[in-house]
Order: sequence, then structure tokens, then C-alpha cells
Amino acid sequence: MMKRILSFFKSDVGRIILSGILFVMGLSFPESYKYVKLALYLLSLAFCGLPVFIGAVRGILRRDLLDEKFLMSVASIGAFFVGEWSEGVAVMLFFLIGETFEHSAVRRSRNSIRALMSIRPDEATLFNDGAEETVYADDVEVGSVIVISPGERVPLDCQVISGASEIDTSAMTGESIPRSVTVGDTIDSGVVVLSGRLIARTLRVAEDSAASRILELVENANENKSKEETFITKFSHYYTPIVVGLAVAIAVLLPLLRLATLKSAIYRAMMFLVISCPCALVISVPMAFFGGIGGAASRGILFKGGNVFSSVARADTFAFDKTGTLTTGKITVSDVECVGISRDELLLLASSAEQGSNHPIAVAIASLTDEHLPIEALDEIAGEGIIARISGRSVAVGNEKLMKRIGVEFTVKDGTAALVAVDGRACGTVTLTDSVRAEAASAIAELKRLGARRVTMLSGDRPGAAVSVGEKVGIREVYHSLTPEEKYSKLNEIKRESGKAVYVGDGINDSPALAISDVGIAMGGIGQDSAKEAADIVIMADDLSMIPLSVRIARRTVGIAKFNIAFALLVKLLIMLLGAFNIADMWLAVFADVGVAVLAILNSMRTLLRPTSSVRIPKFISNRR
Amino acid sequence: MKYRYKIIGLDCPNCAAKLEGNINQKDGISSAKINFLTERLTVESELSESEVYSIASSCATAFSRDVRIEK
Repeated sequence: MMKRILSFFKSDVGRIILSGILFVMGLSFPESYKYVKLALYLLSLAFCGLPVFIGAVRGILRRDLLDEKFLMSVASIGAFFVGEWSEGVAVMLFFLIGETFEHSAVRRSRNSIRALMSIRPDEATLFNDGAEETVYADDVEVGSVIVISPGERVPLDCQVISGASEIDTSAMTGESIPRSVTVGDTIDSGVVVLSGRLIARTLRVAEDSAASRILELVENANENKSKEETFITKFSHYYTPIVVGLAVAIAVLLPLLRLATLKSAIYRAMMFLVISCPCALVISVPMAFFGGIGGAASRGILFKGGNVFSSVARADTFAFDKTGTLTTGKITVSDVECVGISRDELLLLASSAEQGSNHPIAVAIASLTDEHLPIEALDEIAGEGIIARISGRSVAVGNEKLMKRIGVEFTVKDGTAALVAVDGRACGTVTLTDSVRAEAASAIAELKRLGARRVTMLSGDRPGAAVSVGEKVGIREVYHSLTPEEKYSKLNEIKRESGKAVYVGDGINDSPALAISDVGIAMGGIGQDSAKEAADIVIMADDLSMIPLSVRIARRTVGIAKFNIAFALLVKLLIMLLGAFNIADMWLAVFADVGVAVLAILNSMRTLLRPTSSVRIPKFISNRR
Repeated sequence: MKYRYKIIGLDCPNCAAKLEGNINQKDGISSAKINFLTERLTVESELSESEVYSIASSCATAFSRDVRIEK
């Protein structure tokens, strides 16, 4: 019991209460009991200020005279020295109260960001012939069988081997509509199983699973500091010495110039010392970006650093990849024509040639037959196609450039088609269709509303297909028939012309473009490792409306950071000014120090909220902002 | 090599920036970054893990008794 009381009075709240009671007692004693008052004040000061005084002594020993605790101690003792006993205590007491608020605000925001990020369960339930065993997710090996019950979060990336369920992927993709999975489907860790019990075989260890990769990305995101953060860190480096210098100048010059009494000048100087702590400034900016990263992550948008926010917020030039980005990338074969070869043979040769490639067109062609012939030799030419040796025959599958390269004449209709030549002879065409994403047009229209001046499409596809997709989604500036290298140099050209450019791709074949753009956005999840490396923003869901949403989140985050800087600076300047002319008092100075910090933190937490969406929020609400 | 630690007990971001500066001045440390919000210390150094840890820990305790570094 004794121990608990003792630890309560050691805690911040306990010290505040005890010190506060003594302080009020001191205040209410009549002036005639001068020494009783002083004793009560000193006792009160001891309770709230002792750790600060100890810190100040350590500061002196470190020869750090700009240490916050040292400055606070000087302010408090200075106030006592000029006879303002109550305010000498008040500085310390309110400093402690403010700090306590500040710590609790920081703790709360840390927790709310952690809650958003609590997508990685610590435990998994192993399933061995009907027996269930709960183990640490970290200890589960690839290929283990786990069971996930309704309401549980999937601990590891896995493939369903029994059962069917609806799953909620919102934590991973921001997509709120549940998806149904059944035997054979793969699920990412971090999603929640809703209706049925699933038995699944794990595909990756915990460390490599989707949830861990996202967390790692978000936690390390803050290592790339934004322009605003760098500014404020540099600024605060000069801020404290300047304000302390002003305090000294006031204490010395005002009495010398007979503008104020020594007592009043010291009092004013003490106020400056209280305001000299740059914490409100230093915390307000990274807090905003940290919140922005957390808030965006909860929508399935991963910003890789504070610096990305500023770039996206100002971006007005966007370049889109076509296949897999503006279109679904699920290419289906709509027509097959063959000349001098049976349809079955043509399909078998073409699909065998494409079996190893991950290009969307290749995947579609490879899926045309269930069985493939072995490939004896392979030559893949980026942006053109593939030449494979199969059963001693040379099979070329690709576009007109490839055919020109190997000297085969082709007459082609418009539309996306893969041309097939066997042993240098034109054998047939496979016509492919790829549907435009449903939300593509509205996403691009919204980008334009948000101020995008130039929206372009960079496609490796043939002119007809590229222009027709451009028309459907509302992009007039279309560059077609580009090889990956040409895409890269075209993007460079756009960058030169427009200053800054955002590139949106699906991460397949466009890592160079993602890397050179000012902001590279990779669509469709964390799966593509190359995209994860090269991109600045990774969008988990295959949903283009996340692009304008990213812009809005970025603008709001940068806006909040800038507002925080301006607010903190203005309040501090104003109170310093008032203090110098003896209009403000110590109470206001304490507010300028910790009060502003708390307000800035609270304001930063707005970044965690969902930004106003022109689609989902009724107009009468969005108008109020 | 890049080493990451958890850093607990820092009072405010300004203190974090100061401690960051102190660690940066030590020999053998190419860069040290403290993220006050995620409570993470990231050190780049050619030194071994245990050397980096002891440098960071001693800086932290010299800075304030309340600051702890955990692996």
C-alpha cells in the first residue's frame, strides 16, 4: 500500500496534484505570513521541479546551456529572484502539466497509428490431422498447415486447401467490400476471415509475409525526411540560441537604457526562456507526416517517406502505363487466325514459347493450352516478344518489330495482336483484348479536377489499341509502341518539359520508369519486389481511384504540417513581442511553449482521418471544410 | 552496416535531435538517426553490432538516466 502511494507521488500526475495543492495553499495564505507562503511555494516547487533541476545540473555538467531543463530552471529561479514567487512555481508546475499533456498526446497518437498497423498476428494455429496447436507465427515453416477461424486475422501468406469464406482485405488494400475465397486461392497475411473456417498451407514465413513487409515499409518510411522536416530541424537549431540571446539582451539592455526596472526586465527575459524551447516546432511536422503515412496505409496506400508527400502534393504531370494499370491486365484471347498450320498446332507452339514469361500478353497466350512443349533455347527481346526453339523449330511470338527483326512479312489488322512465325514463316495471329478498368476514366477526370495539367499514357502497345484506351479513359496525349527503354527516355523528356512527373505503373517491366520519375506509383500490391524497390508509393489494391486519393492525402498532410509550423511560430513570436512590451505574463509564455505543442500534435492527428472524398461524402458536409 | 534499435524514454523531439547529434559525433559512426515518433534509432557504421550498441547505450545514459536503448 505504502509502495503504491509512493509510486503515485512519483508519477507525473501525483506530482502535479501534490504540488498543485501546496501551490494553492501558498497562494491563499495572507500576505502577512510571508515566510509560510515562501515555505509552501518552495515545497510545491520541489515536488514539481526537482527532476527538472536535476536535469539542469546534468545539462550544466554536459556544458549544454541551451538545455530545455536548464532554461526552465533559470526562468523559475529568476522569477523567485525578482520576488515573483508564485510565478516561479507556476512556470514549473505548468511546464509539468503541459509536458504531461504532451506525452499523453504523443502516446495516444503512437497508439492510434499502432492500432492501424496491428495487421500482423503474433500467433498461428497449426493443424495436424485434426489436432490444433497454437504457436508463434514466427516459428511456422513454409508448407505448414494452419487453420484460421472466422474473426481471426490471417497470420501468414497461405493457400486455401479446405473450406471457403468471405475475407475482409480492408486492412491490406483499403477495399471495403469482402472478397470470397475458396480452395486453391491464395490469401495475404493481415486479412480477416469473416464467415467460414479455412485450412490453408503456408506459402511464406512470417517475416516474408505481406503484413510484415507492409509494416517494415511503413516503419522505415520516416527515414526519408520531407523538406518541411529538414527545414524545421535546421530552424530549431538556430531558434533556441536566438531566443536565449534575446532574453539576455532584454535583461541587460532594458535596465541600462532605463526602459524598465531590473526586476521587470528580468521577468520579461524569463518569459523568453520559457518560450525558447523549440519542441512544439520540432514535433509538429514529423507528427503530421507520421500520421499521414499511417492514415494512408489504412487505405492501402504506402508512402515510402515524408519527402514523397511534398512531391505528390505539387505534382501536375502524370504519366500512366497502359497494360495492367489503366486496363485490367487480364488479357483474354478473342480471335485466332492461322495460315498453313492447324489451329491446335499454332496454339501449342505459341503457348509453349510464352510459358516462362511474366508479361501479361505472354501469360494470356501461355494459358491457351493446358500442356506445353519443352523449350530448348530462348531469346526474349524486351518490348518485342520472344523467340524460342521448340522441337527443333524456331517459334517467334511478338509484335511487328520482332517480325521485322527476323525478316518476316506480316499484314496486320488493328487491335492488339501477337504475331506468330515458325521457322521464319508467318503462321498466324492471336488477337487479344484487355478491358479498361471501370474506375479509370473517373480517376483521371478527378486528377484533372485536382489540377493535373498534363496527363499522358506511355504504352508499349500498338497505336490502335493505345489510342482507343486513351479515348476511353480521357487521355489525349498517348505515346505508343514504346520499348521499356523508350518509355524511360520519353518519361525523361516529359520530366524535362514539365518539371516534375508522377509515373503510375503496375511494376511489371517498368521499374526503370518508376525509378526515374519524381514520384513512382506502383499499383497492385506488394508482390512485385522490383516495384517495391523502385516505387515511392505502393498501392495495395488494383484501384485507380487511389491515385487521386493519394494526391488529396498528400496535400492535406503537407497542409497540416505547414499550418503547424506557421501556427507555432506565430504564437511564439506574438507572445515574445507581447512579453517584451510587458503585456503578456508568464502564464501565456507557458502556453506558448507546451500549449502550442499539444495543439500542434492534436492537429497532426487529423492526418489519420480519411480525407474528404468527393464521391463518398455528401456535398453539404464536404462544403463545410 | 545498418543497425536498428528501439529507443525508450526520450522526453521530446528536441532531446531526440540532440542525442542524435551526440551519437553522430562518435568515432566510427557514419550516421545516426532517431525517429522520436516510432522510437527508433538507426545507426550506420562499419563497427560490429556490440560496439555500436555500447556506443549508443553510453551516449543515451550520459544524456539522461531515463533513456534506454533496446535491441
